[in-house]
Amino acid sequence: MRGHRDLRIAAALALVCALLAPLLPVEALSLLFALPLAFFLPGYALAAATFARRPIERPQLLLLSLGLSLCVLALGALLLNYVPGGIGPVSWAILLVLVVLNGCRVAALRRPKARAGGSGPSRPKRRLSATAVGPLLGALLCTTAALAITFTTRAAEHADGYTALWLLPPAPKDATVGGARVGVNSEEQKPAEYRLVVRVAGRDEIIRNFSLDPGETHVLKLGPPEAASASPVAVRALLFRRNKDGDVYRRVSGWLAEPEPSR
Amino acid sequence: MSEPVIQDGPRVRMSHSRFGPGHLPAIALASGVGLLLCALANALARSTDGNPMLLYWLGVLLIAAPVFYRLTSAEASPAERLTLVCLLGLSLYGVKVLRDAPLFTFSDELVHAFNANQIADHHHLFEANSILKATPYYPGLEGATSSLMTITGLSSYGAGMIVVGAARLTLIGALCLLFLRVGGSARVAGLAAAIYTCNFNFLFWGAQFSYESLALPLLVLLMMALAERETVRREALRAWAVPVVLAIAAVLVTHHLTSYATVAVLLALSLAYWYVKRSWKSPNPWRFAIFAAVLAAAWLLIVASSTIGYLSPVLSGAVKAIFNTLSGEAPPRQLFQKGNSAVGVTPFAARAVAVLAIGLLFAGLPFGLRELWRRHRKQPFAIVFGLAAIAFFATLALRLAPAAWETGNRLSEFLFVGLAFVLAYAVLAAMRHWSSRPRLARGLLAAAISLALIGDAISGWPWDAQLSRPLKVSAKGGTIVSPPLAMAEWAAHDIVRGRFAAPTADANLLLVPGNKSVLAGPYPDVEDILEDPDLGSWQLPLLRRHKLRYVVSDLRPASSDGIRGYFFSTGGSDEGRLPRGVTAKFEGVPGVARIYSNGPITVFDLKGQR
Repeated sequence: MRGHRDLRIAAALALVCALLAPLLPVEALSLLFALPLAFFLPGYALAAATFARRPIERPQLLLLSLGLSLCVLALGALLLNYVPGGIGPVSWAILLVLVVLNGCRVAALRRPKARAGGSGPSRPKRRLSATAVGPLLGALLCTTAALAITFTTRAAEHADGYTALWLLPPAPKDATVGGARVGVNSEEQKPAEYRLVVRVAGRDEIIRNFSLDPGETHVLKLGPPEAASASPVAVRALLFRRNKDGDVYRRVSGWLAEPEPSR
Repeated sequence: MSEPVIQDGPRVRMSHSRFGPGHLPAIALASGVGLLLCALANALARSTDGNPMLLYWLGVLLIAAPVFYRLTSAEASPAERLTLVCLLGLSLYGVKVLRDAPLFTFSDELVHAFNANQIADHHHLFEANSILKATPYYPGLEGATSSLMTITGLSSYGAGMIVVGAARLTLIGALCLLFLRVGGSARVAGLAAAIYTCNFNFLFWGAQFSYESLALPLLVLLMMALAERETVRREALRAWAVPVVLAIAAVLVTHHLTSYATVAVLLALSLAYWYVKRSWKSPNPWRFAIFAAVLAAAWLLIVASSTIGYLSPVLSGAVKAIFNTLSGEAPPRQLFQKGNSAVGVTPFAARAVAVLAIGLLFAGLPFGLRELWRRHRKQPFAIVFGLAAIAFFATLALRLAPAAWETGNRLSEFLFVGLAFVLAYAVLAAMRHWSSRPRLARGLLAAAISLALIGDAISGWPWDAQLSRPLKVSAKGGTIVSPPLAMAEWAAHDIVRGRFAAPTADANLLLVPGNKSVLAGPYPDVEDILEDPDLGSWQLPLLRRHKLRYVVSDLRPASSDGIRGYFFSTGGSDEGRLPRGVTAKFEGVPGVARIYSNGPITVFDLKGQR
């Protein structure tokens, strides 16, 4: 690729992006390197190889760089589906780098010497005037503000808050113990106080009084049935809102799980 | 390896040497302010504070109107025009992003996001999707999204948003260059590409994370490559075949309907070439048409055969609905209808704007066609565009047939490519007619195009769903989420295995973020089970047959609505809820556990019933 500056830059950039994008732990930084690798360089390399002998105009080149990159991404997954390991960060990075390097190599071989040094005729450098920079910066600022507003969770006074009550067998890690879990999730607008009444086998009654802030969860763990029985042990949980009328607010029902044999 | 550089004949160039930013900075600022207004309007809507609809439309107008006005001028350079339409396309995509963040909330988006998550999790394509079985077999969009997801660790939402953004840029850029080659005028190209944003689906439906949002831009890229190919010397024909073939292949693995549209476009162009030039020799694209047809048929029969079962009820239903409506057996569909209590009313003014917009498009058609005939009747692309423009108005009639409106709506996105080109000539004809008062003419025409954009956006997307609704809400230092989202997050966290039966909106959220296998809708008839207050004898056997362990019963009428069913209710009203029997009927079934309840939504576990 000697003498073809654009191709050398594209190949080097692809390698750097492919190395850094999967390794960087911060998504935003990783994205900075992944974007050119996925959305520009493969298409650019393919367009450079295809139109090595007949230069195309810059808008067409830029559009093909983006559009053919999308084609490579859409078709690339199909290809990677059949390679060992399948679709993953490493296979994607390798595929995209291979497309770029091969495209650049073919372009370098096919390009007439008269065009060495760039993809097209040299163009006069253009600078934005100060009067143009101001509005463009303003536009950038407004767009950033719009995104910040959008991605900020806001209060919604009239949204109807509620509380969820659930009853499930123990989490998989506690399956060997058996029993059940009763959970209360507050999705209320304000802190709320509750009374939870759990009846096991219609007899034993467990009562818990507690309060939850919005977004908080309270989980009550129930032990396994005391003795192995032929029929499952029923559980019924009733949730009341304290300081409200005495009506049942939520109810769930199920069974105590027998301890599972450890594996 | 030294070969002479082959230069093609003289052509209109977008990379004009007379480049200056022109009015671009000021228009970019207007777009930025417009986006900010849209963000504020959506924030107010999410906060359930007042009705910020006017603020929202003002924002859309600020984004679009200055671009339309500038594009009508004769002074703007070709490069400025291209940059302006790209700015317009991306800014209007921004309107959609600002509405939905930080989660996908369109029905199809959650289906495709699930597929993308499956690819990232399992490292392979074609993992099953229980809601739309055909979608995993067209993995182009999700495959592309998986590249960003796996390399950067982004969620399917973040990665999908970027992929669709890149596709939107490709769409609008390719349209501009396509129209430039066909029309030979940068002014026509810029105007036509800008007018394309007035199609019913540009603002929302076409910008969602769904396979057509990638496939359509690739089809337009393919058309652009064909148009470029038309203008080059014979030796360069082969070079342009590379992007054409790549685009055809990429469309085929991305979306079924667009792949058939690709075949149709290529066939139409081949016939138009033959009609004009009486020759099948290149650049007549008939070989590409055959290639695309064979590939599409092979993909359908070998890989994606489930698509037949998915599309045939939709298409046959559409045909049947047309006949029923025409014969008077069924009443015509009411426009702007209010389907159930969850659907808001479209105000009279909005309806009037929508009807006026279509009237404006129709009024421009004869003038545009006359200009097209006068200037380009020997051009195959122009002939196809002219026919598409006429066909667009024919498909509007499909909106009156209840089961055919969706087919008509989908077709409009494709046919509008032709209509936009034709209408650009109508705009030029109007400018010529009012040449004595050019500024007034430009202002009026920019206003008319802006009105078409807003009116068609109202026609294409429900009025009450133009703005965001509360999904995640900040409350006393914590964050609370809507009832269906809370149920889906609970299922994601606490339910390890087992399939769900759920109404559409709940089912979509059970896909993402729930990551569950779920059935909804009429095939199999889960829909009736979940809406019927009585437990019919067929219902439990059907649930058992499809191994549906969990049943989500939702009393909200919006739960069956893939657009409105994801959000908080407001104002504490239970009005319009489904009958209690919808939930109560499962309570009496022996062995059924009621394992989750958040008010409107109850989840039953049928395991013990088996």
